[in-house]
Amino acid sequence: MERMIKIGRMIIDEAKALGAQTVVCRISESEKKEFNVDGGEFSLMRTLFNRGVSVTVLKDQRKGSVNINRFDEAAVKAAVRDCIAASESAEPDPAWEYAKGPAEKQFCSGSPECDTDLLFSRTKELMADIAEKHPKILMEQMITSHDFWHGVFMTSDDITYYSKTGSYNFSLMYSAHEGDKATSFFGSGIKLAKLDRPVIETGFIERELSAIEKQLDPESVQGKFTGPVIMAPSAADVVLGTVLGNFVSDGSLIDGTSIWKDKLNTQVADERITVSLTPSADWALGSEDYTGEGFPSEDYDVIKDGKLVSFMLSQYAANKTGGKRCGNTGWNVCVPAGEKSVDEIIAGIDRGVLVLRFSGGQPSPSGEFSGVAKNSFLIENGKIAKALNETMISGNVTDMLMDLRAISSDVLYDGSNAIPYMAFNGVTISGK
Amino acid sequence: MLQDVISAVRADFSAGASTELRAQLNRSRSVALLAGNVVSNGRSDVSGVSARVYRSGSYGFSSMAELSEEAARSVLKAASENAAFMEKHAGRGKPALPKLPRAVRPLEKDISDPAQSVYIDFLRQVDAYITSHCPNLISRTVVASEDSMEKLLCTSDATDAHFIMPRSYVYVILTAATPDGKPVEMFRAFGGRNTFDVNFTDPAALYPGIDKLYSQLMEKREGVYADAGVKTVILGGMMTGMLSHEAVGHTVEADLVLGGSVAGPNLNKQVASEKVTMTDFAHTAFGETAPLPVYTDDEGTPAEDALLIENGILKGYMNSRETAQHFGMKPQGNARAWSFSDEPLIRMRNTSIHPGTDKLEDMIASVDDGYYLIESNNGQADTTGEFMFGVTMGYEIKHGKLGKALLDTTISGVAFDMLKTVDMVGDKIWWTSSGMCGKKQPMPVGMGGPALRCKVMIGGR
Repeated sequence: MERMIKIGRMIIDEAKALGAQTVVCRISESEKKEFNVDGGEFSLMRTLFNRGVSVTVLKDQRKGSVNINRFDEAAVKAAVRDCIAASESAEPDPAWEYAKGPAEKQFCSGSPECDTDLLFSRTKELMADIAEKHPKILMEQMITSHDFWHGVFMTSDDITYYSKTGSYNFSLMYSAHEGDKATSFFGSGIKLAKLDRPVIETGFIERELSAIEKQLDPESVQGKFTGPVIMAPSAADVVLGTVLGNFVSDGSLIDGTSIWKDKLNTQVADERITVSLTPSADWALGSEDYTGEGFPSEDYDVIKDGKLVSFMLSQYAANKTGGKRCGNTGWNVCVPAGEKSVDEIIAGIDRGVLVLRFSGGQPSPSGEFSGVAKNSFLIENGKIAKALNETMISGNVTDMLMDLRAISSDVLYDGSNAIPYMAFNGVTISGK
Repeated sequence: MLQDVISAVRADFSAGASTELRAQLNRSRSVALLAGNVVSNGRSDVSGVSARVYRSGSYGFSSMAELSEEAARSVLKAASENAAFMEKHAGRGKPALPKLPRAVRPLEKDISDPAQSVYIDFLRQVDAYITSHCPNLISRTVVASEDSMEKLLCTSDATDAHFIMPRSYVYVILTAATPDGKPVEMFRAFGGRNTFDVNFTDPAALYPGIDKLYSQLMEKREGVYADAGVKTVILGGMMTGMLSHEAVGHTVEADLVLGGSVAGPNLNKQVASEKVTMTDFAHTAFGETAPLPVYTDDEGTPAEDALLIENGILKGYMNSRETAQHFGMKPQGNARAWSFSDEPLIRMRNTSIHPGTDKLEDMIASVDDGYYLIESNNGQADTTGEFMFGVTMGYEIKHGKLGKALLDTTISGVAFDMLKTVDMVGDKIWWTSSGMCGKKQPMPVGMGGPALRCKVMIGGR
């Protein structure tokens, strides 16, 4: 830590000597230990040591940024000079603003120390568990790793933060096979602080492996109909990603293309829907401690009981739009659970689709989306009827939010987000 | 230019193992103007060394963010220890990789590094043109970017090489509103291989393309929803490029074949209409330099074209040295790494369906009720070949003539089924190279193709 603070001080002194009024820098080191499984067999072990130095300056309210990954004095001083030159090329913009100190704090989360032998044995155990319990599954690629990161964030306005974090990460990409039959691939993942139980028991890994094994004889939906769709946590991004990315984030509000720009404090969703960003939640590993502008991260709601209560504005975007800076800029999304299990929600549907993965174009700024319902099931008469292929779903996210059918009591905690199943009415479902 | 800090470490290579040592610098420059505001103005230089060691069927790899002989020795030692760990605990008992001819490919030329003001000044002129020539927009974004990879490679039993791959682009994103107030967007990338100062000497060279983009956006704001279902369509060359890369290319990457892709049981079988031939070009395509040429890959394999489909028959895969040994094929230079801290993976280079003999106007005239689909913003496919592409620009075709523009939609299908419906192939190739392929690591790739007449499922209302 002392070495990184020394580099930070050098950056600030150098940049101020070159005329910068505001200097923000982050100096970090990271280490990754990783095992790869390809085609069901161990293929690679990696050990990576990396560094990062990022410098941002404001000179007469002109902003420049530079990133390098070297700590030597010559490289760091060259980066500062580059950064000053970049800022001198930019237009002045009074909206740039960073947190003011004094503030000094240390953060530590997750498991910074890696137990490499335990990581290897848990990986081997996971392969064995899948082979025994899910013999039809072929692991296209599994990547397991421990990721450690620590770094200092310093500003010329007397802020010094030090963060240290580590976690174990498991990423599985697989499909089911039987004879010549094969399913679409599916990805499961989990971020863990401890390896205190078999990995197959964490998150939805077991549930997702079981689902994919049941998709070896898929059929397309016949024709086209409008009906309910249950979006599993693994497919929730089409709704939540559109809301957060298209409707309430910096870019769409600065340029005025957000269709929710005038909707603050109005009902934009069913009153059962709350969407929060919660870096302080105990399940959020390696989450944001402070924003890139130096403000301490705080949990907040974007949608509360269906009402839009906050945009996701940085201080820059808040200054640009006359809005209010949000509590954090991380993406630890939390949607509170509902009361029915996913099985109970399915039992109430005459004809609809359970979507485990959505493969679609980026939803348009107006919220329109269409894409393929991958790894999905047709629901008929309250039961899973068959696996689907070549079936598309389309609709408008804003309409779906207002036409919620149910939220499940089952919630996937994957180390980054807490997301339940969400069922919406009125989605167009089309097949061959 | 990178200094050679790795050649001297060759003496430390272990006998009986295939070893690669690489020094690498990734450079990126980016400026973004959103509604005239400079919202992004950054430069990034990321460099370091890495080593990979192959023993008995497993690899050990290590990297360090430092360009020095000491760092090269450290990562070689750590990679060797990792390979030994894997051999002991998860050894596959495979034989050594077949050796390749030893050769050296020196750097042909260094590249320039324009100051940040070059990017900003150029963008300001482009932004000013849009402001004065494109009324009724609700938003405009212009972005200038450049990325380059410079690599120094030292191998135990293949080609040693020093090469640089630069590319640079200007992206223009325009947004207008439909009559009922909903935003619609259009996007276009200008540029290709080479540094920014080589590709962009005169902003006026972009103006005809911006005019066309704007006129398409004005048509799209009056656009209609596609009618969902299976339709006869003419895919424009950009869409064919996406199809070549996403829906076919990934399934014939040998590591995905080993992971169970649909290409496994289909080698030497009919997977497309006999009008379809497809190649992953290394550095030269149809008599010209390919969009992003590759001459040596990161395993030291000299790059050559990989013929994938010939007259509708699946003829081969794209390989690393290891998978080529497994399948009894020849490695052709497809193993590439994004950053110094990345191991080489099987990646496409410049993937394209070959042109045919049909004229685009004849192809459109042949469709009674269908769509002409031109632009895409993204695409995804899986190992079964089932694909989905977002369509951001297209037109109805009614009785052989273009009709109204389409609002954003999506097409989908199963590649080896859909390719069998191809019955007309255009005589002109379109290439794109501005995107990044994602497969554990990002990677710049070129993709291209001619217009195709075929049947696909289209989303809509």
